Amino acid sequence: MKMNLNNPTLREKFKPSALIAIAICLAVVVLFPIVVTSRYIVNLVILAAASGVAALGLTVCLGYTGLLSMAQAVFYSIGSYAVALCTTRMDIGWWGGMFLGLVLAALMGLFLGFASLKVSGRYLAMVTICVQVVFALVLMNWREVTNGADGISGIGRPWLFTELDDAQKFCWFSLAVLFICVLIIWALKTSKLGRSMRAVRENEMAAECLGVNTLRVKVIAFLICGVLGSLGGSLYASGFLYISPDSFVYQNSVDFLSMVLVGGTDSAFGAVIGASILTFLPEALCDLESLYLVIYGCIIIVVIIFMPDGLWGYVDRFMRRFSKKKMLPEVKQALAVGECDCDEVLHIENIGMHFGGLKALDGVDYAVHKGEIHALIGPNGSGKTTCINVISGIYTPTFGKVTFLGEEITGMKPHIIARKGLTRTFQNLRLFSKLSVYENVLVGSQRAGGSEEEIIDRALAAIEFVGLKDVAYEQCRSLPYGHQKLVELARNLAGKPKLLLLDEPAAGLNESEKEMLGDLLIRIHKMGLTMLLVEHDMSLISKLATKCTVLNFGEKIADGDVDEALTDPQVVEAYLGTKEVSEDDA
Amino acid sequence: MMLEMKGVSASYDAVQAIRDVSLEVNEGEIVCLIGANGAGKSTTLKVISGLLRPNAGEVIFEGKQIQKTKPEEIVRLGISHVPEGRRVLPGLTVRENLELGASVRKGLSKADLNKEIEHQYELFPDLGRLRNALGWTLSGGQQQMLGIARGLMARPKMLMMDEPSLGLAPIIVKQVLETTKRISKEFGTTVLLVEQNASMALSISNRGYVMETGRITMSGTSKELLSNPQVNEAYLGGRSRKLKG
Amino acid sequence: MSGLAILGQNVFSGIAIGGVYALLALGIALIYRSTNVTNFAQGDITMLGAYALYILLEQLGLPYPIAFLLAIVVMGIFGWLFQRFVYYPLRNRSFLPVIIATIGAGILFQNVALVVFGSIPRKVNPVFASGGFTVGGVYFDLQYIVILVVTAALFVFQYLFFEHTSLGKKMQATAQDKTMAQLLGIPVALMIAFTFIYSTILGAIGGMLVAPIYFVTNRMGSTLGLKAFAACICGGFGDVRGALIGGIAIGLIEALGAAYIAPVYKDAFPFLLLLVFLLVRPQGIFGEKVSEKA
Repeated sequence: MKMNLNNPTLREKFKPSALIAIAICLAVVVLFPIVVTSRYIVNLVILAAASGVAALGLTVCLGYTGLLSMAQAVFYSIGSYAVALCTTRMDIGWWGGMFLGLVLAALMGLFLGFASLKVSGRYLAMVTICVQVVFALVLMNWREVTNGADGISGIGRPWLFTELDDAQKFCWFSLAVLFICVLIIWALKTSKLGRSMRAVRENEMAAECLGVNTLRVKVIAFLICGVLGSLGGSLYASGFLYISPDSFVYQNSVDFLSMVLVGGTDSAFGAVIGASILTFLPEALCDLESLYLVIYGCIIIVVIIFMPDGLWGYVDRFMRRFSKKKMLPEVKQALAVGECDCDEVLHIENIGMHFGGLKALDGVDYAVHKGEIHALIGPNGSGKTTCINVISGIYTPTFGKVTFLGEEITGMKPHIIARKGLTRTFQNLRLFSKLSVYENVLVGSQRAGGSEEEIIDRALAAIEFVGLKDVAYEQCRSLPYGHQKLVELARNLAGKPKLLLLDEPAAGLNESEKEMLGDLLIRIHKMGLTMLLVEHDMSLISKLATKCTVLNFGEKIADGDVDEALTDPQVVEAYLGTKEVSEDDA
Repeated sequence: MMLEMKGVSASYDAVQAIRDVSLEVNEGEIVCLIGANGAGKSTTLKVISGLLRPNAGEVIFEGKQIQKTKPEEIVRLGISHVPEGRRVLPGLTVRENLELGASVRKGLSKADLNKEIEHQYELFPDLGRLRNALGWTLSGGQQQMLGIARGLMARPKMLMMDEPSLGLAPIIVKQVLETTKRISKEFGTTVLLVEQNASMALSISNRGYVMETGRITMSGTSKELLSNPQVNEAYLGGRSRKLKG
Repeated sequence: MSGLAILGQNVFSGIAIGGVYALLALGIALIYRSTNVTNFAQGDITMLGAYALYILLEQLGLPYPIAFLLAIVVMGIFGWLFQRFVYYPLRNRSFLPVIIATIGAGILFQNVALVVFGSIPRKVNPVFASGGFTVGGVYFDLQYIVILVVTAALFVFQYLFFEHTSLGKKMQATAQDKTMAQLLGIPVALMIAFTFIYSTILGAIGGMLVAPIYFVTNRMGSTLGLKAFAACICGGFGDVRGALIGGIAIGLIEALGAAYIAPVYKDAFPFLLLLVFLLVRPQGIFGEKVSEKA
């Protein structure tokens, strides 16, 4: 992350109130070990800090990116054993051990990241469980290295300007590490990468079609998750000077998961709150220890059912009620679209898309030229959406060729096609519904590249253009449907598209909203943007389209000027049907 | 009057799908509901069968308000809904699908059930031939037949069919609609038919309603609607008028 | 003991334990099919089943058949409560909160068991006191034979119930298409409740069968549950045949791996196999599609 204080998001991030909060946290970190001298509490604080760092990994993986990992104890153990072995058996020292742990954990993170290419959702969770169970057995039984169930004792502590040999100094060190990690993960959330991660969590396909390399984002998420888990493990090992395999089993992974869930998955502070509560609560209730465990199970179920955003979610909402309404930065430039240097923007040659025996598309040809609004119409089930999916790279066609600006794009991944300037909307809105309008548009704006400043400028211009300035900081899911449609449009426009595919933009809109959308599309068209429009509403088609292709049963039945195509007898038949049924007594 | 809708509005989450829809269906009639994709036809059926709760208005079936009744109870009242996309239960055989169609009927003896299933096989000979085939192995037309036959097994007072012609070749559409007409005659079943294929639907029905963007914009006897130039407005923005002159 | 006898011994015990995994996997598969919920608490339900048998049999001193049936009734009620308070409030949420809620429920069950029964392992007597018999060098433990018989009987029952009763067909219809089932007049919520009750009973029976073999502890369920998952995935999620074959495959691999490769890694073999399955053939043995829609 480049630290440039002219950078507007950084300026926004480090506004005075945030700086004060940071200063207070820093003071706590520095003063706490000096004020609190109880050995017992100091040890608990070290444990909480170590767990907190590891839980932050899950914040990135589960909270930001939406990947359920039940193997955090594996990463934790990697960091712990690396430090333990390097300070007791080998003469590499704490820092060397910690670094070794980070490298190994990163490798394991890469493995899980690539597994997410193969499987997703509950199956991915199962992959992590497999790794967890097998790894725990290896720790227990690979006695030559791990010393088996006896564990490793006499673990060293790091040197940082001085030997951190007593618990108090190490406690200070752990809190400092936690503080830095929280700061980084907090800043990550609103960075370009963080936005991409949350876009993947909210809607992977939409993110991919907006040019986010979703595989890369998922791999990075697991990588960060692993590195933080390992770092937490290193702190844990040196905090207790003794480790054994039973601290790194499946149960412990579930514990880490509980921490982020109770605290709140979507914020770095949630992980810290969760880790602290689940570390201190059993000690506070130590007389009732067994009963505590029941309370613990209940808390998790209750939190999940009634507080899906965790404790921090509540605090956050409470604070937001008192903070003043955020204002959008000033719009600096007008909206611009991409330049096409080729007259034939899109050319589809003999495209076929077969799903088993179903021929959704069967040898369709057409071309979209620069500056056109080209309508693609046909009755229900005629293959229009399939066609859009083939062009945007979601499906690889069974046969045929798609050319965009003179370059063949058949079979390319959606995010690569999107980065070339071909962008699309979806029939059933695929917004990042828990992100704000502004963030949605920022993700779209990222596609065209450039510095953060340029990304922001383009996003602001797009929001201004569709007229959503007043609701820019609202969560998308809280907006009325008509506005949500506009968010999707703005998200695409911010990325300087060269060709825009619109899949039923008017579906679900009422008459006045349709009118407005039509005017908006005409304005966009006047700016020189080429569009391919799938629509059922014929009044919108007549208002907008210059050229038109009609599909029926996966084949092209007419092509050309709109009026010409719509009066073609075959088209009339496809839409109104033929009167083949006997009419004797109707 | 068998069914009456008075000023019904309904929405999916934030999307308003139908607004202030009022319609009537009399006993023994075939009534069709036509209009372009997304006009709200399927939503209207979903409201009647209880799959979607309306935000406003009343649905009255045989004098009883049903807009808050659960779908499984509405079936018992005698409304059978054959939804869009056929929805044949893929892992059950043709026969099992038909048996489940009769599951709302209390006290139906095994012998009577068999007799009725045999009767369906007569109506739809393909189904008889494929009685032990699993649902997903049927072709589109066969699935449509099974959907209708299953709907009839409930011995409904009113049968609602959603786009029986969708994705079928014209010759099969013709078969399906002719069967519909025969059913109506033979059992005296009232039929509410939703169709995109307007000409065909109007040619077998007594009366029709035209829907556009969630509202009913026209109604009348099928003959009137067939000759009404505005009907194709709803489909092609009035383009075919030029063709017909 | 001859090599062949050792092999026979391991195959026998592998299949028997695999039968228990299959019962649990069947429970998971049925719930998954009808509600799309991956129930991570199935293992802990097994543990509760074992404790239920322990109370009725060892503490109250009831005769085996009565204790067994009573435990089934109790666990059936428990299954209803489970779906009412864990599944039902979350039925319209995405898979993640539901999975996590079932994990949370599992933790809760474990901890309640710990509070009630303490951490001392409890012993349940086998169904037949007389141990077993030896044929051709292979020792046939009667409890293992009981497991095999009960598992086989339950799978036959499963088949007859689902394929030849009206209730079974209604449950199948609910699993295949909930909206259509509603339109056919099938009370879908009730069918889902039945599915949970039935699956809970299957898990509980699994627990009662292994109770005499393993000691009953509050943690006994988590490994059992995870292996049942492995079985479920190997067999293709949601497939009845798959649950049976997957369960037995996991049992065999575990027994043979422990005998011929490394006994300490007994628990690792099923998961290594599953890892290979997930990354190489994610659709399972019978090819149900795994990749989930966004």
